[in-house]
Amino acid sequence: MDREAEFRELYEAHRDAVHAYFTGRTGDRWAAADLMQEVFMRAWQRLPELVGRPASGQRAWIFTVARNLAVDTYRHERTRAGAEAALGHEPAAAPAPASAPVIAAERVAVVGEAIRQLPEEQRVAVTMSAASGLTSAQIATALGVPAGTVRYRLSLARRTLGAALAAYDQPAGTAEER
Amino acid sequence: MSLDDTLAAWAATVRLPDAAAADIYQQIIMTPAPGGEAFGGLGRTWWRDFSAGFAARMITSTRPVPVPWAA
Repeated sequence: MDREAEFRELYEAHRDAVHAYFTGRTGDRWAAADLMQEVFMRAWQRLPELVGRPASGQRAWIFTVARNLAVDTYRHERTRAGAEAALGHEPAAAPAPASAPVIAAERVAVVGEAIRQLPEEQRVAVTMSAASGLTSAQIATALGVPAGTVRYRLSLARRTLGAALAAYDQPAGTAEER
Repeated sequence: MSLDDTLAAWAATVRLPDAAAADIYQQIIMTPAPGGEAFGGLGRTWWRDFSAGFAARMITSTRPVPVPWAA
């Protein structure tokens, strides 16, 4: 297999997970795309180190780079934190009345806003699980933490998200009872 | 709509579109990689051959020209 084919295989295998990781960290899929590109650029430049490793070894290597990059980026961006926070916490769109697609879209917005407000560790875990389909064990390899820790974070996150949806559903149910 | 369904719908809104992923891939592979083939499809031995040829020409062109009165 030539170099480009090897890289394509690596890229296709891990891009969703890396993008989901950075989306969880930044809350912005386009900023996440830029960071993902930087990670895979490094992988491209050091491909011989990665080829021949098992998928879990490749994932560990890639996410070590990703975590370091996230830390570096955080340091550089810290002075812009106020503006970033302001941009990142725009309120969800005002709810429109009632059709099923609108309600579904509102529920997605409610979950999105609840995810944004999760503690970062939970947000990253739930984003990687939902957006890239990784198992708890695979997320654990990527993050360098025990699988039980990932399961715990996911459990806490799901509890919070479930509560957010229940709170959204409650007024509608109350209104129907009147 | 269950929590899992709602999460799946939310995930679709944050996932990187395939076209964007393909663009990123193209940008990466257009970058020369150390030890790999040079940009533009040049062969692996291009730089070595070029350097060797250049060095040989430099040596030849800077060699003192023999002059009759120097003998």
